[in-house]
Amino acid sequence: MPGPFTVSEVSDGIEMLIRNLLFAAAILLLGVGVKNPYHLELLTFIGIHTLLALGLNMLMGYAGQISLGHAAFYGLGAYATGILTVHWHWSPWISLPATLALAAAVALLVALPMLRLSGFYLGMGTLGFGMIGFILFRGWSSVTGGDSGLVGIPSLAVGPFTFSSGVRYFYLVWGTVFVSFILCERIVRSRVGRALRAIHDSEKAAAAMGIDTSRLKISVFVLSALFAALAGFLYAHLVSFVSPSSFDFLVSVRIVTMVVIGGMASIWGSLLGASLLTVLPDWLHVFSDYEMLVYGLVLMVVMIFLPQGLTRGILDLYERSRNRREGRSPSA
Amino acid sequence: MRDRETDEKAVPPLLKIEGISKSFGGIQALYDVSFEVFPETIHAIIGPNGAGKTTLFNIITGVSAPDAGAIRYGPRNIVGKQVHELVAQGIARTFQNVELFGSMSAMENVLVGRHVRTACGFVGAMGRWSWVRTEEEEARQKAMDLLRFVGLDSVAHTRSSDLPFGWQRFLEIARALATEPRVLLLDEPASGLNAVETQRLGELLQEIRGRGVTLLLVEHDMSLTMGVSDRILVLHQGKRLAEGTPREIQEDDAVICAYLGKGI
Repeated sequence: MPGPFTVSEVSDGIEMLIRNLLFAAAILLLGVGVKNPYHLELLTFIGIHTLLALGLNMLMGYAGQISLGHAAFYGLGAYATGILTVHWHWSPWISLPATLALAAAVALLVALPMLRLSGFYLGMGTLGFGMIGFILFRGWSSVTGGDSGLVGIPSLAVGPFTFSSGVRYFYLVWGTVFVSFILCERIVRSRVGRALRAIHDSEKAAAAMGIDTSRLKISVFVLSALFAALAGFLYAHLVSFVSPSSFDFLVSVRIVTMVVIGGMASIWGSLLGASLLTVLPDWLHVFSDYEMLVYGLVLMVVMIFLPQGLTRGILDLYERSRNRREGRSPSA
Repeated sequence: MRDRETDEKAVPPLLKIEGISKSFGGIQALYDVSFEVFPETIHAIIGPNGAGKTTLFNIITGVSAPDAGAIRYGPRNIVGKQVHELVAQGIARTFQNVELFGSMSAMENVLVGRHVRTACGFVGAMGRWSWVRTEEEEARQKAMDLLRFVGLDSVAHTRSSDLPFGWQRFLEIARALATEPRVLLLDEPASGLNAVETQRLGELLQEIRGRGVTLLLVEHDMSLTMGVSDRILVLHQGKRLAEGTPREIQEDDAVICAYLGKGI
């Protein structure tokens, strides 16, 4: 009779520790081993995208609320720190908390009316918000530099130690990803994480368990905006230049795709989805004009054959094959 | 006259439903319904389909607001309170069509029930301070006890959607109990259960009452209702038709005429 264990329960305690240690070791090794500056930069971008996907996964994968405007928060983080450091000459380390506070405030304002919506309507609403963000980045040229962008964003430094070289920034970004993973894992396994999943499964029953669903949805929206803004901050100080096209509608869609392909409600899926969606367009340049076509095809194949996303899909395949080897009937 | 009357007079009612009316469009779903629920009793609401039972349930649990009337829970009028606020105050419910969290294990479902009795938020979860770990440990202990209470401890780690339907019903009761309710509302708990499970449900309801919980149930299974209820309210076309002990209800002419459909 016993069915499969839920994923969140099998991987508890010691297993989690081992996984995180392996993750830390992998980051260290990659930093030491990868010498090619182009590859290092690609890996750094994967880290930034992982933060984006991770944040959206908390909202979308766990709480089941879609956002098609997350690029606006990504852009908000990048532009806010760009403006504060370039125009106002703030130190990036003071601009960081200010940027995050601003993102949280904007997210709160957006979430209050927005999260009354659900399903397609929430999608449309957040899409509109993303558009407004993009128009502001482009149109408010006296502050944002308009289409020509904002240049001269300083690189990060602690005293004499600058995060200028490829490997140093790589470690900074992946250190952030590592800490974020641990924090999100803790959230997912807590009372709050269960409440988020409860909302996803049945909002009616969640309310009947005493969960203040609107408040929790707003909180997780703010949390996911914070991750996006943090990614934007890291992006801006890495490339030292921001322009509106990095935060348009397609970027929002790409973040959603990272979550869906990697796996909804899967922290590690965010890493996988971000990696694929960062590396794939790079490879797909070979197909030049057909890039979007191949991209769409990949998305369709994943959706049809592994609707749970790659992580969960591969785990399921693995469990099924193991069950078969042990002569048990495959579990549903 | 009534055998329990003298006992109940001494104890104030836990829930006092006063003149509740509710209409949807032109349809009067409830018309001036009043009754009292005494602590640690099992109170059933019966009536033919469309009598307004579910509407009444939704009003008591805060899902919808009445057009007129009050619901006194202890000294307070709870009309207008939101569902989640009422749960915190001790009013829990189960659903007619079982609303479990399908992607979660039985254990996790019950743990969600502990939500209102625990406090860890985002910051606490990320910090995992010692009080958070203690709270989680206690919640797991209590959840396990409740699963044992309803007889589901052996499937604690099974996905709730993989459980047979009858077990899901019992799981939903355990989950509602995890909120530590003073009043538990059960919406047709026996529907979909086989005879053995229905009997087990009857025993369970009495055990729950024994734990000091007041039960209010909507139920179609007459032998269960008559067997376990202390009092029964009969609704007919949105109006209170009768209220009393199972025996009184069975002997009530109006009830026999309207509900059981037998000629006099």
